[in-house]
Amino acid sequence: MPRTTVAAMASGWRAAAPRWAVVGVVVAVVVALPAIVGALPVADSAVPAAELRATVLAADDVRYSGYAESAGGLALPVTRQLDSVADLFSDRTEMRVWWRGPDDHRVDVVTAAGETGIHRDARGTWTWEYERATATREAATPFALPAPPDLLPSTLGRRLLSEATDEELTRIGARRIAGRDALGLRVTPAEPASAVRQVDVWVDRASGLPLQVVVLGEASEVPALDTRFLDLDLSAPDAATTAFVPPPGAAVRTAEQAGIVLEAGRRLGPVRFPGTLAGLPRRTLEGAPPGIGLYGRGVTLLAVAPVPPRLADGLRRTLAQSPAAVTDDTSIRIAAGPVGLMLVDPQDARPFLLTGTVSLDALVEAAAQLPVLVRQR
Amino acid sequence: MIAVELRKLFRRPRTWATIAVLNALPVLVAVLLVWTDLAPRPGEGPPFLSAVLTNGALYPLAALAIVLPLFLPIAVAVVAGDSVAGEAQAGTLRYLLARPAGRTRLLVAKLVAVLAFVLVTVLVVAAVGYLVGTTLFDAQPGAATSVSGTSLTPEELAVRTVLAIGYVAVSMLGVAAFALFFSTTTDSPLGATMGALAVLVTSSLLFTLDAASPIAPYLPTRYWLAFVDLFRDPVLWRDITRGLALQAVYVGVLLAAAWANFTTKDVTS
Repeated sequence: MPRTTVAAMASGWRAAAPRWAVVGVVVAVVVALPAIVGALPVADSAVPAAELRATVLAADDVRYSGYAESAGGLALPVTRQLDSVADLFSDRTEMRVWWRGPDDHRVDVVTAAGETGIHRDARGTWTWEYERATATREAATPFALPAPPDLLPSTLGRRLLSEATDEELTRIGARRIAGRDALGLRVTPAEPASAVRQVDVWVDRASGLPLQVVVLGEASEVPALDTRFLDLDLSAPDAATTAFVPPPGAAVRTAEQAGIVLEAGRRLGPVRFPGTLAGLPRRTLEGAPPGIGLYGRGVTLLAVAPVPPRLADGLRRTLAQSPAAVTDDTSIRIAAGPVGLMLVDPQDARPFLLTGTVSLDALVEAAAQLPVLVRQR
Repeated sequence: MIAVELRKLFRRPRTWATIAVLNALPVLVAVLLVWTDLAPRPGEGPPFLSAVLTNGALYPLAALAIVLPLFLPIAVAVVAGDSVAGEAQAGTLRYLLARPAGRTRLLVAKLVAVLAFVLVTVLVVAAVGYLVGTTLFDAQPGAATSVSGTSLTPEELAVRTVLAIGYVAVSMLGVAAFALFFSTTTDSPLGATMGALAVLVTSSLLFTLDAASPIAPYLPTRYWLAFVDLFRDPVLWRDITRGLALQAVYVGVLLAAAWANFTTKDVTS
């Protein structure tokens, strides 16, 4: 290579090097910035677990607005009527929330091309679906199917902590969530029947509002449910923001889903359930139909109900499609994360469905203890 | 030099041919919608397309949403990819650089021309969309409903539409910056364009994968559809501000790289 060419190349490199160095520094800063912000230390507080739980339960009057994201890892085998419920627990749900109180709030489920807004007032909810241009009114009932507001970390965290005992609680440090300092609280269910290994609730140090809830099943390191705030503003939202009036041109309907579920529950007729099943004591729930037996506490819950034979056939087909289904002569059962489902359908007795956050062994034990099934065997 | 580059770009028939082709798809979709009266099902199809059947004044937004994922970035990548590499391929780059203006100024002039193309293209798509929408559909300029179900006044609708047009234009700057950077690294305009499109296809693919969720906030296409958030009530600024910041970072880094490469490049053609 001629000496002049080599010299020209060396000179070119000398000119280029500082400019590429500038680019390199800019790229390094941009790439490192999120990691640096994420690694900023969060000061923990010495507040005991029981006291932190009490703070959460006392903070039910906190007004706020924010943006939350819930990611569910549960593939629930449900029939088509309950698709929306199953989606809540299997998909990623992005929610905007304006919270003035349990009877005055608005939660918008945001999608790329539209949104579904749930506006709660004292007498019920309006649900606005943009892509259908439909507003649906539903009267408030004490017993309702799970809806997006139930997945907010604030709502879910408070609900899961409300029935935990002090012995089940431990502190797990602190972290930053939605730009705020959050103190960790772990619930480890005491019941042997539980299929939930632990629930981690991260609580806003300043307000006592749960900012993140992570539910882990017994058998998996992937959370069955992880819901967290990404943005949070603790100023009270306007009443005008949570209110809703159907816009001109919208189709206005009345919801029937909860009514259908309640009616189905009433048709079941009363059943004599035992005082305990699989070691879980019986409990009551306001508004629940008498044909459904509810057991357990906190995050360990079991529901038992007779099902009409036609519905049982459909359920059996749905459950059988799951490769994880365990079948024997009279029953079929599966576990979807920490949620277990078991359909018992003996020849000489009516079919029963058992479901809850309990292990499959606990479901089998509970089915064996059901007097309706034991007597008629 | 900027005026020269602008004149050169907008006097080329192929620039206007590109814009015309870009408008063909929304017009075709509008005609098919009127013809069949079949709106996309909820959760399917581009944003605003189902709302257009009841209010044609929203068609500029639907038109932007139709061209945004593929056609608009292709057009921008073609023009930006051609900006420097096209001159090199035609053998005119060294004559351009013979002028006393300097390479940085030429790069800035090329960049401004690409920005002008992006803005004109987005405006034409919106304008043609408005004409098509108000001609073919029932237009109710006074009675628009926001995505959140509240009523928008004509002024609010106009302001938000202008903001959406601006946001879509800014979203295309990242594509332009990728193509312009590749354009300084090669003498082949096609290579530069394909390079930018490969980045976009990769970004769009990764965005659909759960496994890529940790890097999703940094993908160049991540916030493109956030212009829909301007039509929620209250406006959801979260993704819009992130989208603007992300485009600013991509544009800043890639232009710095283009400058570092181009100003020290050995130009032989």
